[in-house]
Amino acid sequence: MRLLAALPLSYAVASVWAMALARVLPGALAEATVAATLIAFVICAVAAMYAYAARSGWRAVWVLSTAGMAAALIAWLSIAAGSRL
Amino acid sequence: MSRSFRQSQAGLHTWSGLLLGWVLFLVFVTGTVAFWREGMNRWMRPELARVEQPMQVLAGAQRFLQGKAPDAKSWFIPIATESSPGAQVFWQPQPKEGEAPRRRGRRDTQALIGADGLPALVRETRGGEFFYRFHFDLHYMPVIWARWLVGFAAMMMLVAILSGIVTHKKIFRDFFTFRRKKGQRSWLDGHNATAVLALPFHLMITYTGLVTLMALLMPWAVVANYTDETKLFETLFPQAEAVERSGKPAPLVDLRTLVRDAETRLGGTVGSISVSEPGDASARVTMYRAPSSMLSSRPPSLAYDGVSGRLLWQSPVHGAASLTAGTMIGLHAGRYADTLLRWIYFLCGTAGSLMVASGMVMWTVKRREKLPDPEDPHFGFRVVERLNVATIAGFPLGMGCMLWANRLLPVGMADRAEWEIHTLFLAWLAAFAVSLLRRPAASWVALLGATGLLLGLLPLYNMIATDKGLVAALALGDLLFVGVDLTLLVFGAAFLLVARRVARFRTEPRREGRARGKRIAAPAVLEPAE
Repeated sequence: MRLLAALPLSYAVASVWAMALARVLPGALAEATVAATLIAFVICAVAAMYAYAARSGWRAVWVLSTAGMAAALIAWLSIAAGSRL
Repeated sequence: MSRSFRQSQAGLHTWSGLLLGWVLFLVFVTGTVAFWREGMNRWMRPELARVEQPMQVLAGAQRFLQGKAPDAKSWFIPIATESSPGAQVFWQPQPKEGEAPRRRGRRDTQALIGADGLPALVRETRGGEFFYRFHFDLHYMPVIWARWLVGFAAMMMLVAILSGIVTHKKIFRDFFTFRRKKGQRSWLDGHNATAVLALPFHLMITYTGLVTLMALLMPWAVVANYTDETKLFETLFPQAEAVERSGKPAPLVDLRTLVRDAETRLGGTVGSISVSEPGDASARVTMYRAPSSMLSSRPPSLAYDGVSGRLLWQSPVHGAASLTAGTMIGLHAGRYADTLLRWIYFLCGTAGSLMVASGMVMWTVKRREKLPDPEDPHFGFRVVERLNVATIAGFPLGMGCMLWANRLLPVGMADRAEWEIHTLFLAWLAAFAVSLLRRPAASWVALLGATGLLLGLLPLYNMIATDKGLVAALALGDLLFVGVDLTLLVFGAAFLLVARRVARFRTEPRREGRARGKRIAAPAVLEPAE
């Protein structure tokens, strides 16, 4: 369970946060995109650490999924409202 | 909270480390050697003279290309330096209709221009380029798969480092502690010493390594903002507008004068030149600043009219995030580093290789003590133990054999460059067989000893068979050859020393773990990185 949370799930959380941040970070589009990508690697590592620190494997999956959903919502709303280049 | 958090991270540290430790070891070792990529390019072609006048090489390159590919689509000319073998020039022929565009790097559209400005006839070798490419592309497998595998290993490494910091609470006190002859404790101390010693380096190199592959590993930010990613790359890597061939012939300006002009404008040396539509009235010359002259790996460039030599375009300044990414990649590759700093990179890389190797061996040492019967371990344990021997001792053996192949394979041999590389893998395969067939304690000794002999004897062979041996190179003042050969001697001696330590303890099974504890902890250097 922890392994599931640490590997695919932390990458997934990092990915959706990369999308969300790329949409909301200020500055030029290319700059926000690059900055979001740089930050995403840190998110991925921290998420994996959390997966092992959480009280239980289920809790890790639950918390990380929620964090991912939040980012997905931000990204989806932002893309629906604006447009992509 | 802090105590349980620390314990939780210990499990993560062990499993993320073990899972991809072998890949990480290969990546660390070849990456460490690749800091001397240019130097190895020259060392592996000992018949070449040292470049003393880069501009003479450039003039020769222009002359050569004008004769060889006067109406090419484009030329690419790197500026030779004292550590490079010369200028490896490429050209791209005009695309023929209905034919796929040719890949750059094909052998029939490139040449090496030597110090005298003439095309050099030398042994075929990939030189240091092999180590550089293997570091992220591996070999014998599709490049994209390899990069995913290496990227995944790097992500694991980042997690292993961060959780490792958490796990070792008394990290700095541990660093000053070395308990010899204490079995598992010695291993742990050795692992901690190599890890903490270069901790900022390990953290930097792992994170920046991920950044070098970020377009592949983490494309999602791009997906969120762009439907067509080429638009992003046009912004990040701006280039002057492409030119069309006019059909009116016109002589190309002397590239040397443009280099002088570009160097004053760029505020640093020029590293490479590309020429579009040479020999045509529309010709365009682009000058790139050398990555060795700046921290960022995204050098600014200038575009000139290829006939009049007028400046037409200069690359815009990078934004903060793009500059940050470029600087991280620059930090990773270390091209900016001068010789002293390059040595520090090399030593840190060596420490990193040792950190991975000792961590892997520690996994077995730690578990052996807990086994119900240490003399007859279970299957999984034996697999890890033997894969450790095959990788940690076997891969350096393969590298040693490759360097010998570079010296010994006949110069005119077909596919010679490829066979140098096959030699590495054949030797590694043999090492793998040895580690499967014999007891680990015996194969450690055999493989480490053989590697030590191979590395240590190579400088002697160079002294006898080439005119760039230690003494001759010292007399010539060619420090690159002196440095590589001395490093080989040191690493050869270190391997032999370690092999002897292991052999001495072999007869006492109870103390075997302890013996191998010193295997890595005793000499500060182990990997054959030249």
